[in-house]
Amino acid sequence: FQVNHPGDFSLSPIKPKLNVLSVMSPAGCSHVNGYKVDNWKQNLRVIYQCFVWSGTAETRRRKAKSCICHMCGAHLNRLHSCLYCVFFGCFTKKHIHEHAKNKRHNLAIDLLYGGIYCFVCQDYIYDKDMEQIAKEEQRKAWKLQGTPLLFLRIGEKYTTWEPTKRELELLRHNPKRRKITTNCTIGLRGLINLGNTCFMNCIVQALTHTPLLRDFFLSDRHKCEMQSNSCLVCEMSQLFQEFYSGHRSPHIPFRLLHLVWTHARHLAGYEQQDAHEFLIAALDVLHRHCKGDDNGKKANNPNHCNCIIDQIFTGGLQSDVTCQVCHGVSTTIDPFWDISLDLPGSSTPFWPLSPGGDGSTVNGESHLSGSTTLTDCLRRFTRPEHLGSSAKIKCGGCHSYQESTKQLTMKKLPIVACFHLKRFEHSAKLRRKITTYVSFPLELDMTPFMASSKESRMNGQYQQTVDVLNNDNKYSLFAVVNHQGTLESGHYTSFIRQHKDQWFKCDDAIITKASIKDVLDSEG
Amino acid sequence: MLSCSLQVAWKTMSKESRMKATINQKLTEMGERERLKELLRAKLTECGWKDQMKAHCKEVIKEKGLEHVTVEDLMVEITPKGRALVPDSVKKELLHRIRAFLAQHAT
Repeated sequence: FQVNHPGDFSLSPIKPKLNVLSVMSPAGCSHVNGYKVDNWKQNLRVIYQCFVWSGTAETRRRKAKSCICHMCGAHLNRLHSCLYCVFFGCFTKKHIHEHAKNKRHNLAIDLLYGGIYCFVCQDYIYDKDMEQIAKEEQRKAWKLQGTPLLFLRIGEKYTTWEPTKRELELLRHNPKRRKITTNCTIGLRGLINLGNTCFMNCIVQALTHTPLLRDFFLSDRHKCEMQSNSCLVCEMSQLFQEFYSGHRSPHIPFRLLHLVWTHARHLAGYEQQDAHEFLIAALDVLHRHCKGDDNGKKANNPNHCNCIIDQIFTGGLQSDVTCQVCHGVSTTIDPFWDISLDLPGSSTPFWPLSPGGDGSTVNGESHLSGSTTLTDCLRRFTRPEHLGSSAKIKCGGCHSYQESTKQLTMKKLPIVACFHLKRFEHSAKLRRKITTYVSFPLELDMTPFMASSKESRMNGQYQQTVDVLNNDNKYSLFAVVNHQGTLESGHYTSFIRQHKDQWFKCDDAIITKASIKDVLDSEG
Repeated sequence: MLSCSLQVAWKTMSKESRMKATINQKLTEMGERERLKELLRAKLTECGWKDQMKAHCKEVIKEKGLEHVTVEDLMVEITPKGRALVPDSVKKELLHRIRAFLAQHAT
């Protein structure tokens, strides 16, 4: 699942602004020269700070009161400010134009977007010095605003891409461009099975279709600090290049396989392996090899890494142990990359679920003939569990061993959530695969399973009005890994999503179009 | 507090315009206007509106010729289409936010 995060800039490999740059004169128009005298830079900064991008409460108040048209009082209609004197006028109603004509003040600034308009040229102009000031003032205002909704978790506010000198050079030397349309299949590529390596192939398909990961690698963000050739992150980067190269023949991931064997010995060998184990091992190795990408913010604490893997996949699981005598709660929060869910039919009892947890109606899953849903599994996962008299915990409040209950909830949600249905049972008595069908939705709301929701439930707000407008905890499905067969002999395939609603089935080297029904009906 | 010309402007405004202006003042003062703008930007990017507008702009530029087209030309061409293509859900959400804000800060 990937959260519907705002600012999902679809990084199409390059849409250069070269054409525009060559036509526009970087010096703007000659009419600004009359303005660029004395202390003009400081004056311009003041205008930006006070009337365009007001960062402080004081400037906001001033802007609220004074930014209205001096002729008609309106605050809409593309208000502009004269650069030469204190005059605000509507653009749409041409009030600013009148002022410009009467006073011969030929420059004005758009208070919404900060663009500079020249009345002689009759168009917006792009003067390099003024643009520089505008950018700096905008950055300053953003910083003052604190954390507005839009800071992508990667830590950068979304800005339109402007190529650096080096990038322009690269673009000139590589004139081939690729346009991404809605039915374009770039990024889809089969993977040859090198001998029971379908467990690796299906995970690779899921990873190469994780948008944030894809964007990270396609924009060359990995700076390798490993001496040898055995960096898995570099190999991942190479893999993305292969997938987006446009080649339609299946890729042979022998280097990737070799690196995985080298760094995760327990997965080596040609027998069948577990896809979930591979996912965790791969994330672990990638995380370890990402040392160079901290951007200098070296966290001394290995648990608070800032690498791309942690930023995308790491969530926080809260465990509350409540003493049954004094009701004191001991809380710990552990990082996680995936949520492993027990299924009905395993040796650990599934039903009944305890009251007080909600969620089955929220996610609109089909309860046809009593089939289990993903939300059911999550409810079970987050239910309060009595630890029993044989597992007493030392209570800090009572200073003695007492019976207690334990409950898991989500403290921090990862950007990409991986749910693992525990189908392979390896208990002392038997080894088998649980094939119970579990239905899952295209969109999942994790709100009922959050630690914060549990708190409000405990504070008496039982009927939580589901805030349909709040998208913070909502996920949308983008990959499903399936296993056919038995524990001893089986085959992994995956479904992955491209664009907004196009699904494809990846069966090693064979990629076929799939319907949403195919995906939702699959075992999971 | 308002200067002479502003006082005149205020007097000539209709009751509805004055109410709009007051609401806008409140939103700006509390920084809510900026937050709403950012929210709107995010929503319109998410639903593909921004990409549609970009594509339309490119068409207009092709038609008029890169050398001759002005920002004004683009504004005139894409404003009606842009307004019409905003999804109802986005309108609803923004309205909900503004209402909630005003209810919270009613004087």
